[in-house]
Amino acid sequence: MSWWCFAQQEAWTWTWRPLLGVWILLAALGWAYRRMLTSLRAEDPDWRLEPWRPTLFGAGLFLLWASLDWPMGPLGASYFASLHMVQFLAVGVAAPALLLLALPARAFRRLGSGSAGVPSILAAASHPLSAFAIFNVTMTVTHWPSVVDSLMPTQFGSFLLDGAWLAAGVVFWWPVIAPVPHRPGFSPLAKIGYLALNAFLIRPPFAMLIFSENPIYAIYELAPPPASSAIDDQQLAGVIMEIGTAWIMFAGVTVVFWRWMRAEAGRPPAPYSGDASTG
Amino acid sequence: MWRHGRGRLGRRASQVAACALVVGASCSAPAAQEGMRGTPFEEPLPAPALRLADTEGNSFDLRRQAPGVVTLVFFGYTSCPDVCPIQMATLAAAYRELEPEVKNGIRVVFVSTDPDRDTPEVLRAWLDGFDRSFVGLRGPLGEINEALADLLLPGVVVLPAGDGSDAPLVGHPSAIVAFGKDGLARYRYPFGTRSADWLHDLPRLVQGP
Repeated sequence: MSWWCFAQQEAWTWTWRPLLGVWILLAALGWAYRRMLTSLRAEDPDWRLEPWRPTLFGAGLFLLWASLDWPMGPLGASYFASLHMVQFLAVGVAAPALLLLALPARAFRRLGSGSAGVPSILAAASHPLSAFAIFNVTMTVTHWPSVVDSLMPTQFGSFLLDGAWLAAGVVFWWPVIAPVPHRPGFSPLAKIGYLALNAFLIRPPFAMLIFSENPIYAIYELAPPPASSAIDDQQLAGVIMEIGTAWIMFAGVTVVFWRWMRAEAGRPPAPYSGDASTG
Repeated sequence: MWRHGRGRLGRRASQVAACALVVGASCSAPAAQEGMRGTPFEEPLPAPALRLADTEGNSFDLRRQAPGVVTLVFFGYTSCPDVCPIQMATLAAAYRELEPEVKNGIRVVFVSTDPDRDTPEVLRAWLDGFDRSFVGLRGPLGEINEALADLLLPGVVVLPAGDGSDAPLVGHPSAIVAFGKDGLARYRYPFGTRSADWLHDLPRLVQGP
């Protein structure tokens, strides 16, 4: 049994090979979520969690499991760049959004007023400009050919890449989803702009994937069967990344817009100023 | 460059490559073009006297056929789970991208190290998956081993099947040998050679001796 999926120069077999590290990560996340909810209930016995939040948390865990464990994990790590990009979309973009949406506002407030040092780090990292930079730099660096070819052949390196994706995804979604730290300037319209910009942004590695005439990743070019044509797989990977990211960002835009409209509808009308003139 | 993994066959390929390196190290003066990505033979070697049947049943003499065009020779087998399909796929991907005048100056020859399973039909069908112009040869392993020895490459080793499979594994050199237009073996392209490396070297080989 391996700890984490990594690029192996072996022909693919359909023998089930669970990845211990993935199961430990999921168990740790599940335990932390349950512990947080128990603690919030202990603080206020009357508090009730919206039932859809644990469902979203479960969906986030399922996405992580499906994309990191066998067979998707090894297939994406060793054989297909296109599946590697599907993994990224799940681990680095979709799952972090679901996990953050699963947290109640009370949990965010607690995280925002935690131990000394944490709030300031959180405030700095979750500022929309820093979050934008952290996410896009991580996305670019972790898909750079020399970085992928150096890290993917080891379990630790592959774990590092997946961990960086997940962390960068959490940082990216934090200013959109979390109510804390409160940022009055980051209005729903600004959030929509933030997400739309990321939907349209073409990052250098993905442009390379689509437009390069030669395979850019050695691990996928030199992958044993069932790897397909390395160049076709690579172009598909680039398309998946660009279109997949855009779709998830637009899903985010839809949610932000819907919440914004709902909030506006529930807001009491502005008081009458009383200076209307008569004719 | 990404290194070979830790798999069973990966280890064997590394051993074969290491063996080839040790053998190669015993030779002397280099005779290589500048900036080539293939590994030069210390001294160019004459084409071995290897005469085998191609997939159409015609006789193919490597020594007589080699002069005039660049000949790339790979010793492998169609049931190979990793090294052979990868080496052939990266070479074929580059070959497809070559300008016609370069492509016309290159011949790719695949010599089966598993003639029992690699029937002419099997060999032809497998090579057609890469490129229909690739030549497939088969014949007695004794002659093939002599040719490998002439090229200072390790011989063919048949290994017992592993992992519950009935099919034996065949150890073979993982490098593709490039013969210049003068018929001399000039470069080895080990496992891990990428399409970009072929695209870099093949036009130079065609322009070379």
